[in-house]
Amino acid sequence: MQLRDLATQIKLDALAMISIEGFGYLGQALSAAEQFAVLFGDVMRHGTDRFVLSPGHYAVVFYAAMAEMGLLDRSALLDYGRDGALLEAISTERTPGLDLTCGSLGQGLSGAVGLALADRLKGEDRRTFAFLSDGEMEEGQVWEAAMFAAHHHLSSLAVVLDANGSQVDGPISSVTTVEPLTSKWRAFSWHVQEVDGHDIGALQDAFAKAALAGSPSVIIARTEIHGRLHSIPSSADGHFLKLTEVLTQAIRAELLQGQESSNGV
Amino acid sequence: MVFDPPYETVLKPFGQALVELAERRPDLVCLGADLTRQTETDLFRDTFPERFFNVGMAEANAVGIAGGLARAGHTVFFATFGVFATRRCYDQIAMAVAYPGLNVKIIGFMPGLSSPGGPSHQAIDDVALMRTLPNMTVVDVADATETRQAVRAIADHPGPVYLRLKRGEIPQIFDGRHEFSLAEAQVVVSGRDVVLIGSGMMLAATLAAARTLRTHDIDAAVLNVPVIKPLDTQTLLSSCRRARAVITAENHTVIGGLGSAVAETLAEHGGPPLARVGIEDRFAESGSRAYLFSRYGLTVQRIVDEAWRMVGPAGSPPVAADISVDADGYAPV
Repeated sequence: MQLRDLATQIKLDALAMISIEGFGYLGQALSAAEQFAVLFGDVMRHGTDRFVLSPGHYAVVFYAAMAEMGLLDRSALLDYGRDGALLEAISTERTPGLDLTCGSLGQGLSGAVGLALADRLKGEDRRTFAFLSDGEMEEGQVWEAAMFAAHHHLSSLAVVLDANGSQVDGPISSVTTVEPLTSKWRAFSWHVQEVDGHDIGALQDAFAKAALAGSPSVIIARTEIHGRLHSIPSSADGHFLKLTEVLTQAIRAELLQGQESSNGV
Repeated sequence: MVFDPPYETVLKPFGQALVELAERRPDLVCLGADLTRQTETDLFRDTFPERFFNVGMAEANAVGIAGGLARAGHTVFFATFGVFATRRCYDQIAMAVAYPGLNVKIIGFMPGLSSPGGPSHQAIDDVALMRTLPNMTVVDVADATETRQAVRAIADHPGPVYLRLKRGEIPQIFDGRHEFSLAEAQVVVSGRDVVLIGSGMMLAATLAAARTLRTHDIDAAVLNVPVIKPLDTQTLLSSCRRARAVITAENHTVIGGLGSAVAETLAEHGGPPLARVGIEDRFAESGSRAYLFSRYGLTVQRIVDEAWRMVGPAGSPPVAADISVDADGYAPV
């Protein structure tokens, strides 16, 4: 499968999962699907490299990516978020396939640092990919971990940062801004790249360069919480989308249309 | 089993035990937070520099890193002052260590009012905080013998542990026959009338109080409870069953620590009246150990007074026997 199609399929899976309850973290899937497609479909060596999902409410994207890669039974997706289901709306210790996840935000990078440090002690050729979201940057622990990782030159550690500018109370810029992200990470001595997070090719290039960096590396993926879909009203709360039957159909139609037109090229 | 006071003291029993353990255990790593000499981990740092990581003044990050290292198979010791080891990073301990049940041993130095540094440095609530976390084992040892044994015991125990340790000169209360156990409390002194239950720095005070009480015809037992969670309720209940009163003594707030744990057990299973000696529900101040322990009621006399009030005859309680102590020795306040 082409990575572009994989990203679309991840979004369609997430839409199906979120539409079970009619509300949830669909915006996170629409902003991060390309990052997960590139990570899971191209960059990561499954069974070797480590994956840390810091913001647990992105679990829906992770589940979809795992299912599309054949690493998770597709039938489990339809139980997403239901009482007693294996696939919880916010990932937990029960979640299959994750090296580490957090629901309490801002903690994932520290854990990723610990994993990368253990690999260095054992002399293992493993990379640790930590997925973070920009809202988490408000938590001081992220910067404690960034400081430590740079001090120890943990070059096996790569962060992909979904910068969709969205948090619970609205745009991050209206709450307490985390910008300028690029110069902040650079000041913490990280290898920093800023890319269009919906551009598959740009993400692939960025991961390739990150692998060669002699320091921990962050890819700031600039994205939109509505995934640049016109079918979602701009006023909709992207952080926790509410879906009507009509909206679900409209999003689905737009995603399928995009897939057809890209396949026609 | 126990020496007579004043007790001889030793330096760095924890630091030495950790190095000895690490020689046999290549999986063991140690994290610090800018208090390396103060937490006796300078010995580990100098012996195993490749396995020591000074995270700096970033306890939340240190706990997260500890969790990551433990997930990858390491046994992790993270040592700092008890206040910073618990209050500053409670959510991190809960989510990154306790919930996944990882092999992380959090070592909190300077318990209760043993710190002269005032409320910012006095861990008066650390036992309570750690005790509420599922999967967490909580240990508050009394002396150097227990400290050495506890280091090995907690390393062998799969799962998270909070170990509370006195800083500096560590008394030698137990002789070499003492066996620290994560499962069992020990009756150190037998007695019929009142059971004095101590942990950590207050064990010496309960032993001294029992001695004074016995000379005034009150037969006081002493129960050593270094493991506050999981509490050995069997030994607790069997030793308290026939007593007329139970007194707990802890270098900690009376809310949520040893006294609370004992109260919960006695309330549920039935038992004699209970008094809790410890820091009342308040923050303390700066000062020496002798000054603070006296001012906040962590004394031998306070335990004697409570015992007398509950099981003694009418009249004033006896004055606790004075324990003369030279510069190198250790005695309870």
